[in-house]
Amino acid sequence: MDLVVQIMFGVTGLLILGAALMVVSVRNIIHAALWLIACFFGIAMLYLLLHAEFLAIVQVLLYIGAVAVLVLFAVMLTRQIDDPDEPVLFQRWRSTLLIAVLLFAAVLVPTIYTHDWQTFTDPQPTFAGPRELGFAFMNAYLLPFQIAAVLLLAALVGAIIIAMEDQEQRRVRVLTLAEEVALRREREPSPPARSAHPQPTSSSTTPPPVPPAHEQAGEGA
Amino acid sequence: MYDVVDFILNTQLGLNSPDWVVMLISHLIVVAILFAIAPVQVLFLTYYERRAIARMQDRVGPNRVGYEGLLQPIADGVKMFTKEDIVPVSADQRVHLLAPIVTAAPVMYMFAVLPWGPNMIAVDLPTGLLFFFAISSISTVGLLMAGWASNNKFALLGAMRAVAQVVSYEIPALLSLLFAVMLTGSMSLMAIVEAQSGLFISTTDVPNIPDLGLGWFVFTPVGFLAFVCFFIAALAEGERTPFDIPEADSEIVAGYMTEYSGMKFALFYLAQYILNFLLCAITATIFFGGWQGPGIAWLVSQSLSADNPAGNPVYNVLAGMLGTFYLLAKTYAFFFVMVALRGAFPRLRIDQLMNFGWKFLIPLTMINILSAALWIAITRWGTAQGFGIIEFAGEPSNLVRWLIAFAVTLVINVAAYWFLARLNIQDHVARQAALAAGGLAVSPPRSA
Repeated sequence: MDLVVQIMFGVTGLLILGAALMVVSVRNIIHAALWLIACFFGIAMLYLLLHAEFLAIVQVLLYIGAVAVLVLFAVMLTRQIDDPDEPVLFQRWRSTLLIAVLLFAAVLVPTIYTHDWQTFTDPQPTFAGPRELGFAFMNAYLLPFQIAAVLLLAALVGAIIIAMEDQEQRRVRVLTLAEEVALRREREPSPPARSAHPQPTSSSTTPPPVPPAHEQAGEGA
Repeated sequence: MYDVVDFILNTQLGLNSPDWVVMLISHLIVVAILFAIAPVQVLFLTYYERRAIARMQDRVGPNRVGYEGLLQPIADGVKMFTKEDIVPVSADQRVHLLAPIVTAAPVMYMFAVLPWGPNMIAVDLPTGLLFFFAISSISTVGLLMAGWASNNKFALLGAMRAVAQVVSYEIPALLSLLFAVMLTGSMSLMAIVEAQSGLFISTTDVPNIPDLGLGWFVFTPVGFLAFVCFFIAALAEGERTPFDIPEADSEIVAGYMTEYSGMKFALFYLAQYILNFLLCAITATIFFGGWQGPGIAWLVSQSLSADNPAGNPVYNVLAGMLGTFYLLAKTYAFFFVMVALRGAFPRLRIDQLMNFGWKFLIPLTMINILSAALWIAITRWGTAQGFGIIEFAGEPSNLVRWLIAFAVTLVINVAAYWFLARLNIQDHVARQAALAAGGLAVSPPRSA
């Protein structure tokens, strides 16, 4: 049985490393995001091998079901998904590699060799169940837990502020395409053809760009 | 299953096979049975839905193939097999191929933790409830892959809508299920079902009444509110009609499935119907007692088990059959509700969908968690847990505790519903007023 676990660990490790390599080496960003999902799966399998079943499930739920989906969502909204002219490695990759390796050696290697690892010969089945994790969060690690919660709240508020910025109209309802275009046109009073040649005296010839009649509607919402 | 295979292999045939072989064979048999059940359920559900919706729309529905059209789904399946597999030239070939697989495979995994009857479950995971929803969230990745790889704007729009909808309705779905985890202290679906035995009034304290298997969570105010919230969220997760904007055929052809044909399309279809079946089954399991029902407890007490070696194995089979019957009856009832909603309601707009989910369902489920905590405190706690206030008039009996808990949570939940509904209606009225006052026109940016 031990050999089976060793083989599974090897396969899982290869999957994680291979997927991670693909993430940074494929040209297409969407494919990179999909490989990232494969990498997350491998990590969930590692948790399973460690008998941390709850963590494995949470890894799938949060990292694949939420984080990876959001990553894919965001990537799909970018313009250049696949550009053959863009080099995969940027110019100073050698020095970057060196710095990364040095940092790894300076921080992680001493930790790995000096830390007093607890090795379970017979892992308890309730080693990292929801009950144990809950007790740990509410007792020993209450402060980090609360700080993380405040941090997330701050991120949430920030996201709402960014989304709500000068969108008074959109709060009433979703605008139609024509209204969006009109809104954009009103925000840039001069059409692009004229803005290419900005003239300091043109303000006297064009009508005042903001009709004040709409102010009431915005406040009524 | 393990015992049966062990008995046949080692005792009857004398093969002396090791532990893991027996385990592998028994699990493989269960998996084969479940994989056979899933498509059959889909075949039946498509026929059921088409006939039911036809009756509601004053039509006849498919009635030509076989008796009353019963073989229609099989004919449809054959038709699917013979269709040509078309892949757009500009599609991303590999992702296009992988997408239906990634969508359909996780749904099959969800069968693993569904309890069908007493002791009838493929794997009784201690975190089964979470597993169920974690696995179902993988399907979203498949939808997104399908939408993007098709290289079609309708497909991409459909995928975006699907993902936005599923991700935001997962939150109320999971939050509304938390009450069951709190009440039973376990995430195992088997434990949740077993906690719903007895009578709904008070599980232990009405004397001389047999175990009727009617202690369903839906009979409590906490469970009822959670049930309503969960079922609405489940409709959105399964992309059923009030929430079917990802594949709104009058707007964006067929959503993420637009560029799929033949068996790949069939896989999407299959995944969707299995998901709907499983969502109905999980609703029945968590709120309506799953396989619990009158007669189960008696059959189980007569059956052969480690505690009762004198039992008759016939009763094991009978208990399993009755349990499966109860579960399927409840599941089909919920599926009928889904079909009826499809026949009755128009489609929501995307902003209505988001408003409803974030401003109404999520606060309501949060308050319901508070009610669930109060329910536990009132029915189980005493001075030892710092809840001495319950003993102001001496030690209350369990029935009295139950009545107090019922009243308190009922008041809280009704008040929460009333308050939130009022807030949302006021919000809606304000929007309408703003629209009527000329809010349609474009207002300038304020800073200008």
